[in-house]
Amino acid sequence: MNKLYLGAIVVTVLMLIATYVSFDFKHGSSDIVNQIAILGAVVLVIATIFVVVKYVRQMQTDTVTGELMDENWDGVGEYDNPVPTGWAIVFALTMIWGMWYYLVGYPVNAYSQIGEYNEDAKVLNDKFEAEYKHIVGDKLVEMGESVYLSNCAACHGLNADGIDGQAADLNVRIEKSVVKDAIENGSNNHLLGMEMPMPDRNGLFNMNTGALITDAEIDAVSAFVANGMSGAGADVFAGTCAACHGEDGKGMESVSPNIATYDSALVVNVIVEGKKGAIGTMPKMEVLNKKQKEAVAAYVQSLSN
Amino acid sequence: MFHWLEKNPFLFSVGVFLVIAFAGVITLIPSFAEASRPVIGTTPYSTLELAGRHVYIKNSCNACHSQLVRPFKSETDRYGDYSLSGEYAYDRPFLWGSKRTGPDLMRVGNYRTTEWHENHMMDPEALVPGSIMPGYKWMFTNLADIDTAYAEQITVTDFFGVPYNKAVPMKDGSTKTIFMGSTVEEARADALAEAKLVAADMKNQDVKDMVAKGQIPEIVAIIAYMNSLK
Ligand code: HEC
Ligand code: HEC
Ligand code: HEC
Repeated sequence: MNKLYLGAIVVTVLMLIATYVSFDFKHGSSDIVNQIAILGAVVLVIATIFVVVKYVRQMQTDTVTGELMDENWDGVGEYDNPVPTGWAIVFALTMIWGMWYYLVGYPVNAYSQIGEYNEDAKVLNDKFEAEYKHIVGDKLVEMGESVYLSNCAACHGLNADGIDGQAADLNVRIEKSVVKDAIENGSNNHLLGMEMPMPDRNGLFNMNTGALITDAEIDAVSAFVANGMSGAGADVFAGTCAACHGEDGKGMESVSPNIATYDSALVVNVIVEGKKGAIGTMPKMEVLNKKQKEAVAAYVQSLSN
Repeated sequence: MFHWLEKNPFLFSVGVFLVIAFAGVITLIPSFAEASRPVIGTTPYSTLELAGRHVYIKNSCNACHSQLVRPFKSETDRYGDYSLSGEYAYDRPFLWGSKRTGPDLMRVGNYRTTEWHENHMMDPEALVPGSIMPGYKWMFTNLADIDTAYAEQITVTDFFGVPYNKAVPMKDGSTKTIFMGSTVEEARADALAEAKLVAADMKNQDVKDMVAKGQIPEIVAIIAYMNSLK
């Protein structure tokens, strides 16, 4: 056997051993991708050695045959050999595949980032639906808490205290300043989910006195509402506000919002419509989905009840 | 068959270049032109917003904040719709950023307000316990550079045809016209008028007084800019 073949065998064996040693059997032997990779590595080693040996042999033994082309470059010429058939066929096939890929394969069946996003979003939305659609009670409040912490806490604070008047204190239904502002300036914040403004003080009559509401009455009734509908001012409320907000302040469907306690509809409306009031501006929180709004409303309700 | 080509290497190179360049032109330019056209609802920045944008760049906010919502569910859930190239049509330079030490700000105007920014820029920790964003107290006293903002408006109008003083289509089918003064005095007056609207929602009395006196502190400009990010 000549030296060339011997060398080739030695190198092949060494490289196969190296491949074997570098393969992580502990983690990978059952994984199909790893198996294919290792197979590929073996084929590559053998094919490389085979090709190298073939051409080295050819260089050692081949003799010059064939016609030279007419032109040469400073004495360096080129044989006028025909293109090998196999190569020519593969070349033609590549061109055909290229056309197909360019015209049909790629642009039409292309990978699209947005397409992948839409698919992902659908899968995740379905999963969300399946897992959370019917949750109620504590589970809903729990979900609401996490929605609250990621979307509302920056303004309302980790303890929902409104961070020193920066936003509404959600541990109480309503603060005195907000009630006062609503009475003095009216309120048009789509709190019922539609345009249904409350008149300002020039439209608020106290039935008990038969006159427009006075400064003292405003102060009293604001304290009464902020105090959880108790204490002095009940008579003003009954005479001025109850007609719309109900005796107990719990509001009426499509007429007025609940100002005694948070109800789910109000919180959801505030999230959807935003609110501008005495404290400041609350933006619409458009990124939340329906269930998340319901959940955060349940959480807000759980804070003051 | 093609030996004459090999004998004329210069001609050959030029030919190859032309073929590749042509292929590049017809595949790249149309989709690029389409994607870089302003999205409906994208408007040029007003003078004050542009001054705020300069404050943003000057303070390297983009070192910690990106302005690019990627099309991943986790991002669209948090920030809103993913970004489109056309939304950056009037951003020169764009401020995509490459690192998020803080959150993305592409759509911060949707879920933060003037008052919130006012408190946050003064002392981020007061609102977000543990925040590592620094406070920017000097913005409450430094004056915004309205003249440079106006100069930029003129430049981009002349060179790129940015549609100031022209009706720009909005998503709801209406149109909106972003004003650009025809003199620097007009631009200053316009910026001040806008600054007054922002200051009306602010609580800091010093800032309100400055604006009432006709001065525009940087904080007002940067808030106007952030409110415009939607
Ligand atoms: C004509 C009917 C009417 C009368 C009378 C009325 N309200 Fe209202 N009130 C409404 C409506 C409607 C709203 C919701 C407005 C909105 O969408 O912003 C409202 C909103 C409010 C709010 C705001 C609630 C919130 O969550 O911000 C408060 C506080 C309030 N009313 C208190 C009162 C008090 C106190 C009185 C009596 C002095 C009173 N209202 C009288 C109809 C009325
Ligand atoms: C950018 C700051 C900000 C964010 C974020 C925010 N809020 Fe508010 N929110 C406010 C402000 C300011 C008010 C007070 C408005 C006023 O003056 O009455 C408020 C008021 C409220 C009220 C009281 C409404 C009423 O009628 O009395 C509720 C409930 C509320 N927010 C819930 C939420 C929930 C839930 C979230 C999160 C999904 C949230 N907020 C996110 C700033 C914010
Ligand atoms: C050192 C990095 C850093 C720099 C510089 C920085 N920020 Fe921040 N930013 C943060 C971090 C961290 C947060 C998240 C915590 C927080 O809200 O304070 C944040 C939050 C914010 C938010 C709230 C975003 C949200 O979704 O709640 C805004 C707005 C903001 N930064 C604006 C700015 C502006 C404007 C500048 C430049 C003047 C700036 N930031 C510079 C790190 C930085």
